[in-house]
Amino acid sequence: MHPFAYDVIVVGGGHAGTEAAAAAARMGARTLLVTMNLQTIGQMSCNPAIGGIGKGHIVREIDALGGIMGKVTDRAGIQFRMLNQRRGPAVQGPRAQCDRVAYAAAVREELEDIPGLFMRSDMAVEVCTEQGRVTGIRTQIGQAFHAPTVILTSGTFMNGIIHIGERQYGGGRMGERASTGLTACLEKLGFESGRLKTGTPPRIDGRTIDYDRLEEQPGDPSATPFSFLTDRLPEDQISCWIAYTSPEVHDALREGFDRSPMFAGRIEGAGPRYCPSIEDKIDRFAGKDRHQLFLEPEGRNTYEVYVNGFSTSLPEEVQFAALRNVVGLEQVHMLRPGYAIEYDYFPPYQIRYSLETKRVRGLFFAGQINGTTGYEEAGAQGLMAGINAVRYLQREDPVVLKRSEAYIGVLIDDLVAKGTDEPYRMFTSRAEHRLLLRQDNADQRLTALGHTLGLATDARYERMRARQHAIEATRAAVEAVTVSPDAVNAYLEQVGTDPLRRPERLVQLAKRPQVSLDDLLDHIGRKEELVTPAPGPESAARQIEIDLRYEGYLDRERDLVRKMEEMESLRLPENFDYEAIEHITLEAREKLSKIRPDNLGQASRISGVSPADVSVLLVMLRKRPVRKPSPSPVAT
Amino acid sequence: MQASSDTIAAIATARGRAALGIVRISGPEAVVIAAACFEGADLRGAASHTAHVGYVASRDGIRIDQVVATLFRAPRSATGEDVVECSCHGGDFASRLVLNRMLEEGARLAAPGEFTQRAFLNGKMDLAQAEAVADLIHASSSLAHRVSVSHLQGRYSEVLADVRADLLELCAFLELELDFSEEDVAFADRERLEALLDGSEKLLDELLRSWRLGRRVRDGVRVVIGGRPNAGKSTLLNALLGNDRAIVSPVPGTTRDEVEGEAEIDGLLFRFTDTAGLRDAADAIEAEGVLRAERAIERSDVLVYVYDVAVGMDAGERAFIEAIAERGAPPVLLVANKTDLLRQDNGPINDEGQPDVFALSAKRAFRDEKELQPLIACLLKTAGGDLSLSEGSLVVTNERHRNHLRKALDAVRAARRSLGAGSTGELLALDLRVALHEIGAITGEITNEDVLDQIFSRFCIGK
Repeated sequence: MHPFAYDVIVVGGGHAGTEAAAAAARMGARTLLVTMNLQTIGQMSCNPAIGGIGKGHIVREIDALGGIMGKVTDRAGIQFRMLNQRRGPAVQGPRAQCDRVAYAAAVREELEDIPGLFMRSDMAVEVCTEQGRVTGIRTQIGQAFHAPTVILTSGTFMNGIIHIGERQYGGGRMGERASTGLTACLEKLGFESGRLKTGTPPRIDGRTIDYDRLEEQPGDPSATPFSFLTDRLPEDQISCWIAYTSPEVHDALREGFDRSPMFAGRIEGAGPRYCPSIEDKIDRFAGKDRHQLFLEPEGRNTYEVYVNGFSTSLPEEVQFAALRNVVGLEQVHMLRPGYAIEYDYFPPYQIRYSLETKRVRGLFFAGQINGTTGYEEAGAQGLMAGINAVRYLQREDPVVLKRSEAYIGVLIDDLVAKGTDEPYRMFTSRAEHRLLLRQDNADQRLTALGHTLGLATDARYERMRARQHAIEATRAAVEAVTVSPDAVNAYLEQVGTDPLRRPERLVQLAKRPQVSLDDLLDHIGRKEELVTPAPGPESAARQIEIDLRYEGYLDRERDLVRKMEEMESLRLPENFDYEAIEHITLEAREKLSKIRPDNLGQASRISGVSPADVSVLLVMLRKRPVRKPSPSPVAT
Repeated sequence: MQASSDTIAAIATARGRAALGIVRISGPEAVVIAAACFEGADLRGAASHTAHVGYVASRDGIRIDQVVATLFRAPRSATGEDVVECSCHGGDFASRLVLNRMLEEGARLAAPGEFTQRAFLNGKMDLAQAEAVADLIHASSSLAHRVSVSHLQGRYSEVLADVRADLLELCAFLELELDFSEEDVAFADRERLEALLDGSEKLLDELLRSWRLGRRVRDGVRVVIGGRPNAGKSTLLNALLGNDRAIVSPVPGTTRDEVEGEAEIDGLLFRFTDTAGLRDAADAIEAEGVLRAERAIERSDVLVYVYDVAVGMDAGERAFIEAIAERGAPPVLLVANKTDLLRQDNGPINDEGQPDVFALSAKRAFRDEKELQPLIACLLKTAGGDLSLSEGSLVVTNERHRNHLRKALDAVRAARRSLGAGSTGELLALDLRVALHEIGAITGEITNEDVLDQIFSRFCIGK
């Protein structure tokens, strides 16, 4: 074999690149991961945390499919919390603070364990193509690497510009060079590029923090792991600390507004609205006299602390002065200032649902290059790009997750069908089938698929099956139980719900939002008898309780899913001439021509395409012979 | 073959005056649903391409209309699915009742062009036909646009926008709590959510109640004129139809609806019916006559009961009017006719606590337009209800809209119940999304981005 020839080349070693390379190599492809610096593989560029509401769901899905993010988080985590515990199970998401160094090391170890995965330190400057197909890449030193598939995961590095106050300079991350050349090369191939912006807060010295004046935020007493494979988490968790800004802090920040690159208009790219800089927050919400700051430890063996909530690109001395006005940070030492970074992305109407570009066969985009933000969103795309690069090599249909199957499906569908002009982040409210797409059932939803693809190991698959069986057995046992008022009323009163007057079926009681089936079974002393132990993060009883609570609603959601799937099964031909359809609005014509949806369901989600337009499309479809949808490669 | 999962139904014939109306139902459950509504041969066992005479009856067995049900089994049908076509007698009122009956049994109201969609999806239609249908969909919607009451249109969108804004705000509050619980923002309390839900419920409810009026705007107000043979019904009818203010159209011979004429008054179409059986109904002698009169009155929006002012009403007539008043519908206007034979002032008089009584002379009305004005003003008021057309009030005229509004209202009410039962936010949010989706199906705006936009613009989000 040619020493410089591979099946798959992944450019970038961040969260998208590492998942992509791991997936491709696990599926048997000879894979090369090219990154500018091998020491920063798996680097957490921004906050040292994984997961959250929506994001935690994605990590569970990556894990269920056989990706690495969940396992690595469990290894490197220093504090674990399940968010939204007082709210419904569908919106609960796991989140972990991680040791930044341990995380990157664990990612590197995972990659090094995979046969057929090779790494290379260099900067890709050119994507090589021949007749509309990718043939490989060329690096800055002029070395060519050959492969029929290339996955670009460039993060914030493409033409990255860092802004701090009035200073600005090229860079992909603090202290690291920007990557140049790729954008120009892609534009030459006909791609349209855009500019986005994100920011990061200062890092401070934990030894100079007066913790006595701050509010402690500990981890959960019984923490839940991310990975369905993890049985036990590190026990010694580290707390985060909550501080608040004040009018004094805001005044100090305002001192620097005239030198802000944001307000002066030096930053062109759109930033994420849900992750605004502190100057943005006090400017837009002037009536709010304090904002919450989370002081997050960066690791077990370091005193570096991340000031979550204080993202800023104001001049360094302004940042410093403002921080020192925060109660508890009067003596703080700043390790490095916050900054804003602008980078190139490629508006995602240019990719297919497989993440392959529409313009160049075999070329895939994943992560921030598609306009997303966040490790989890990047990892999910990397995983899917890795899978689909191999499917492409195998001449198999791509694996496309539906909106009703996974948050990953929602993510990619949103990108392709709707596009994004600000960094895209996942929220549970983006998922119309939120009750189906829970973090607790990600394995039930996706592990079989991961297993078929060769990503999820046999052990993972068996574990999922065992879990399934335990849940079924427990459900059958619990269904048969009726409890008397005497047995349960003390518990019911304790959790604040109406006591029973006459005997009641246990499954009816479990539907009450206040009741925990686990605790109730404990209370009546029948837990061991009725509950079959299930491997994995949630107990079988908990799983049943969730199912019971959502029962009627889940039927409704499935009904909606079925309707949407009928629309999805109607393929739109790739070269369908939308301009020729006079009966749809001009806007719909333009959007459809640009995005070129694969099927009618996708078309219906494009903003600017109305239900009336969809009806007309449905009829006009007949203009061409309708191709039967090819069977999903792994659905069975 | 692409099998659709649900069964759709719609009136297949054009709206308006016609001898027959056809309700078509298509889909896997078409035969089962039709059979459930049908009194006669068991359609479930019937062969394809057979016709059956029978009745469509309500759930409790009351016959709605005599129909001919024609059965087409898949794939040998217009849509390629199982299809039943019910030919109903009488105008579209009967058709609508039959349609409602099928919806009650589980059919879904077809979206515009949906039969055609299915037909073409099942390979029942070629390119030329499909394109022709696309033209038709286009034409019919612009036609619908033209005929819609334009001065009402603007307000309608506004109110829908209000409903949508309220629902969006509610969703934003709920989603804020779900997606951003870690943020330092104030979440809505129960009272706030309840107040917002109340507001949405009220608006939706008003819209739905305007449907009755909306239907009248679109289809006309059904006025039954009743009275003894010599009371002067036809003179009154002619007076109402006559003069240059009225548009009179000849009536195609329908035996059931017995529409005698139509007149447009102040932009509202009135369809007058003279029910022959009504005179007998007052005497309650002939059973068939009573039935037909009852049915005509039940269908009507207003009953104008005419009597000779010199003779007055007899006990039978009074009992008859009282019975209707007791039922509460339809509203009754009494006309004390032939005042030209007396010498008495024109105008409403109070006849022993009876409904509004108009003393007038139908004969005089041919010479003097003013003669009918009080009656007409009252007709307009009665037909328009508390929603006065002249003030540009809002009415829902479109049946599809009404269906979406009803579902939206159901969803809002479900959310109310969930809130009361202490359900968690994601369940409330599901109901509200359904409501938003239904409103969006009318306005054409369906996007969950809007909820996030609301959140980001109103709350300081982001660590």
